[in-house]
Amino acid sequence: MSSDAIQHDASIPNPKKWLLFGAIGLFVSLIGFFVDTRMAAFSYLIGLLFITSITVGMLFLILIHHIMDASWSVVVRRQAENFLSAMPYLGILFIPVFLLTYLSGNQGVLWIWMDPTEPLHGHGTVGEDILWVKKQWWLTEPFFWIRAAIAFGTWILFARAFRKHSITQDTDGSPSHTHASRKLAAGGLFAVALTWTMAGFDWIMSLEYHWFSTMFGVWFFTNAMRAALAVLILTSIFLVSKGPLKGIFNNKHLHDLATLSFAFTVFWGYITFSQYFLIWNANIPEETFWYNLREQGLWWEVSMLLIFGHFLFPFLYLLQFPLKVNHKSMIFIATWILFMQLVDIFFNVLPSLKDSHGEPMQLFSSPVNLIWYAAGIVGAGGILLWAYWSSYRKTRIIPIRDPRIVESLNHNF
Amino acid sequence: MPRKFGLIAKFESPADIMHAAKKVRDAGFKQWDVVTPFPVHGLDPAMGIKRSMVPRFTIVGGTLGITTGMLMIAFTGASDLDLGLLSEGYKLIVGGKPFFSPQFAFPVSYELTILFSAFASIIGMFILNKLPMHYHPVLKYDDIAEGTDDKFFLYIEKDDPQFDNEKTRAFIEELKPTGISELEE
Repeated sequence: MSSDAIQHDASIPNPKKWLLFGAIGLFVSLIGFFVDTRMAAFSYLIGLLFITSITVGMLFLILIHHIMDASWSVVVRRQAENFLSAMPYLGILFIPVFLLTYLSGNQGVLWIWMDPTEPLHGHGTVGEDILWVKKQWWLTEPFFWIRAAIAFGTWILFARAFRKHSITQDTDGSPSHTHASRKLAAGGLFAVALTWTMAGFDWIMSLEYHWFSTMFGVWFFTNAMRAALAVLILTSIFLVSKGPLKGIFNNKHLHDLATLSFAFTVFWGYITFSQYFLIWNANIPEETFWYNLREQGLWWEVSMLLIFGHFLFPFLYLLQFPLKVNHKSMIFIATWILFMQLVDIFFNVLPSLKDSHGEPMQLFSSPVNLIWYAAGIVGAGGILLWAYWSSYRKTRIIPIRDPRIVESLNHNF
Repeated sequence: MPRKFGLIAKFESPADIMHAAKKVRDAGFKQWDVVTPFPVHGLDPAMGIKRSMVPRFTIVGGTLGITTGMLMIAFTGASDLDLGLLSEGYKLIVGGKPFFSPQFAFPVSYELTILFSAFASIIGMFILNKLPMHYHPVLKYDDIAEGTDDKFFLYIEKDDPQFDNEKTRAFIEELKPTGISELEE
């Protein structure tokens, strides 16, 4: 990292403040592990998945930027790169999940299949379950942890490589960094898409190991993209309002980010509906039970909220040009999408946790849950923002010597 | 004697035509246009052109599409409606599913939404551009061929409420064109 490219601006938040937030969240999660182990573990996983999806989404955006040799997105790329600096820390935050599995006294605390002695509701144990026996070649513990390590390793590797090229270019101005990034992106797209799909299969889908959906990886990908775009829009608007990006990030850049947001809103609707539709149409019990569980109690309202709130409302909202070039209206919809993305993660993860009757855990089964939910999100979120602002202070606001920076600055209607 | 259409002026560079367009816009003319050999960046705001109305057509087309899809599936699968020679509703159970459910009507409705939106957009574009237009008075103007090469033209129609042959000619001359000529219909 270049030492001269440091930004001192009083209006920019102090990274240490966010580290404190993160530490408080993590500490509360730690208390939760002793108070209500399973609920706190699931909340921690939800928070980690939410924040990881934002960060990996940023990596996808950078990969797409480089592979397409895009010019308009150069001015926002640096902020995405700043978010990438959180990747190693998210890898570290995954370690508690490993520790919880082996130290909490219940190996199936998160992924029930990790404990073959775990009784299944109504029929024997996991170890006797033919559906687990048949899937055992994939759902085996060492392989599972190795896959997680490969996934984080891949993301950290590419995150570091793209950051290094981009930040070094600020000082030496060599176009070779751009060429190298483009080549990296070609392989990176495959590697990151594969590992992200794997992560979705392992960390969310295998919570309910009976169930399977080949679309799950794509769903996970769209959510990452939507979350990353929402965060990027919010960050850019924040930096415009505080000054650093004022006169650089214009309405056309905002409009393009909003249009991408719109595209992934449609894509989310398409994938989520397709997954539901194929299962609904085929009507096979080993697939339909997953949706049946999510029609019980409040989960039915949550699924309706997702259809209308995560798809229809942002769809109609982002169809309108005037709303896409207005800071206030974009702050609103980006926050909305980010919140809905969190709800979607809850919807996919939490019903896999069963209460003592084998029924899916309800969102507000106990008001105390809210503390663990918040702790999980604040913990990982604080770390993300701490990493972001720390990186922000060490880098320039835009990649000033990128070969396409002038095109990007002149990008307008 | 051919009827008059308006006045046309010739300019040498994109900068000149931009400058002229802004002047004409600010003078409040309504019935006028610019002919350029290539798209000139920023000419739309310079001419005071607002955003296209085509999206209005698109949303109407899309809404019609999704409604048509839903109604069609409801009609064919869940109604006894008799349309005589044209068609007849016939209730049919397929795969143990309800007679009608938005789930299975959705793929069809979704495709029709896209199809009707595309049709509406194309039709809207034709209407707003007054297409098809097989002839335009500027084609009678001999120098217009240069408008496909390296010259820029601006014309004001005589139908414009502000148009006055002498005054408008004087106004255009102030814009310093390299040539000014009358257009016949």
